Amino acid sequence: MSADRFFTALHRKFTNNLAHLNALDAAVGDGDHGSTMVRGLAKAVAADEGKRAKAFMRASGGASGTLFGLILIAIETYLDSAADLTSGLATACDRICDLGEVKVGDKSMIDALAPAVTAMKSGDLAAAISAARAGRDSTQPLVARRGRAQYVEQGGKGHIDPGAVSVVIFLETLGELD
Amino acid sequence: MKKLFNSAETMVDDMLDGFVSAYPQVTRAETDPRVIIRQRNVKNPDEKVTLLIGNGSGHEPIAMGFVGQGMLDTNVVGDVFAAPSADLILDGITAVSGAAGSILLISQHSGDMINGRAATMMAQDEGINVLALPMYDDISAAPPTRKKDRRGAPGTMFIYKILGAAAEEGKSQVELFELGEAVRDRIVTLAAAVSPGVSPLTGLPMFSLPEDEIFLGMGVHGEPGVGRVKVGPVNELVDLMVDKLLVDRPIPKGGRACVIINGMGGTTMMELLTIWAETETKLARHGIRAISPMIGSYVTTQEMGGFSISLMEPTDDMLNYWCAPSDTPAFPQINYTKMEQTS
Repeated sequence: MSADRFFTALHRKFTNNLAHLNALDAAVGDGDHGSTMVRGLAKAVAADEGKRAKAFMRASGGASGTLFGLILIAIETYLDSAADLTSGLATACDRICDLGEVKVGDKSMIDALAPAVTAMKSGDLAAAISAARAGRDSTQPLVARRGRAQYVEQGGKGHIDPGAVSVVIFLETLGELD
Repeated sequence: MKKLFNSAETMVDDMLDGFVSAYPQVTRAETDPRVIIRQRNVKNPDEKVTLLIGNGSGHEPIAMGFVGQGMLDTNVVGDVFAAPSADLILDGITAVSGAAGSILLISQHSGDMINGRAATMMAQDEGINVLALPMYDDISAAPPTRKKDRRGAPGTMFIYKILGAAAEEGKSQVELFELGEAVRDRIVTLAAAVSPGVSPLTGLPMFSLPEDEIFLGMGVHGEPGVGRVKVGPVNELVDLMVDKLLVDRPIPKGGRACVIINGMGGTTMMELLTIWAETETKLARHGIRAISPMIGSYVTTQEMGGFSISLMEPTDDMLNYWCAPSDTPAFPQINYTKMEQTS
C-alpha cells in the first residue's frame, strides 16, 4: 500500500472538516487550524512519493506544521516502506512532547496521540482510534499550558483542542484504508 | 508607509535572486532555492565541520551575509519574520554535511527552536552527524537564574564568527560545540528601540511609542520591551544599559570586553558611532577595556530605529578567532586590538 491513497483521503477529509476545525481553533487560538492543514495536505497530495509529509511541513509552516508533520512522516514511512507503525508513532509522540514541551493533560494533540500509542502497543489500530477519541474528548475541560490557547480566556476551558481532533482524523483515515 | 516590493509572495525569493547575483562568496544549493551555501574556498565536509543557521527573513544582512570562508557554510532562509520549516532546514543540512559533522546554530525563539531541533532529529534519522546549539544572550528576556530561557539577540554574532574561524582551522565537532557553549556563557545583550519597524507584509508599524519614550529590551521581531525610559542625552541611556549588562554578568576591573553595537535598520552610523564612544567611556569608568568592536546594522528589523549593546569577555583564543580574517558578503574585518598585560 502506498501513502498516496492515505494523503488523498486525508486531504478530502480535512477539506470537508475545514470550517469545523477553523471554528474549534477560533475558540482557543487564531482560527486557522483547518486552513493550515488543508494548505499542507494539498501540497502533500501533489508531492512525489516519499516526500509527501515533508511537503506538508513546508506548506503548512510554523511550529505546528512541523509537529503534525512528524506524525505524518511516521505514517508515510509505514505505508511506503512497511516500517513499524507503533514505534514510528511512539517516536513522533516523544519528539512532539520534547520539542513542544508538552505532556498529557496540557490540552494539545498529545492528549489524543499518547493514549493511542499506548493502546497500539497492546492492541491494534482500532484500539488506538478508540483511545485517541477518548483522549480528544478529555481535552474539553482542560486548561491549555502551551501554544496560543494558553493566552485565551481560561486557557480554552470548555473547548475541545483542534490539534487532538486532527490526530483522531489521521488515525481514522488510516483505519479506513484497509 | 511606502515599501519597495513586488509582492508579499515573491519578496523573499526576489531578495535572494539579488543576493546570490551580487556576491560571489555564495550560491543557492541544488537541494533548495531557499538554501544559501558557500561558493568559494569550500573545504571538504568530510574534513571540516560545517556550520549552519536557519532564520526568518527581514533581518538582513544576518545571517546569509555571514556565509563564506571563515564563517558559515549555509543559511536556510525562511519567510518574513518566520522560522524556516524543519524539512527546509533538513535540506540545508543535507546540502553541506559530511563525515566531520555539522552544527546547526539556532538563535533561540520558539519556532526556530522547534523547527531547528526537529530538523536535527530528522537528519540524525538519516545518519547525518549534526548537533543543534541554541544561542541566547538577551538579558531582558529572563533573569540570570534562567539564562536558558533567554532569546537570541545580536550577541550571537560572536558565536558565528568565533566558531566559523575555529571550524576553518580544523577543530572537531565536539571541540566546536564546547567552544560555542563557552562563548555563549560570556555574552550579554540589551536592546533599546526608539521607533517602530514596518512589517513588509502588512505595511503597518510594529508598535507605537510616544515621542519622548524609548523601549528597553526590544525583541528583533517587534516584541514589546521590558521597560520604558524617557528620551535624554544618549550617554545617560548608554550608562543605564551598560550598568544593567555588567550587573547581569560582571567583568572584573582590569578586564576586557569585545563590543557589538548593532543598529536595527533605521539608526544611522552617526548615532551608532556616538553610542560606541559612550560605551567605551562607560566601560573605562568600570575599569574595563572595550576592544575590537563591531559597529553597524547587522541584525535588523526593517527600518526600526534603535540599537543593542552586546558585551563578551573573551579568552585569548576567542579574541584571536573574533579578529581572524573572513570572506563573506557582510561580516566586517574586526580590528585586532593588541592585548596588554591586564592583571
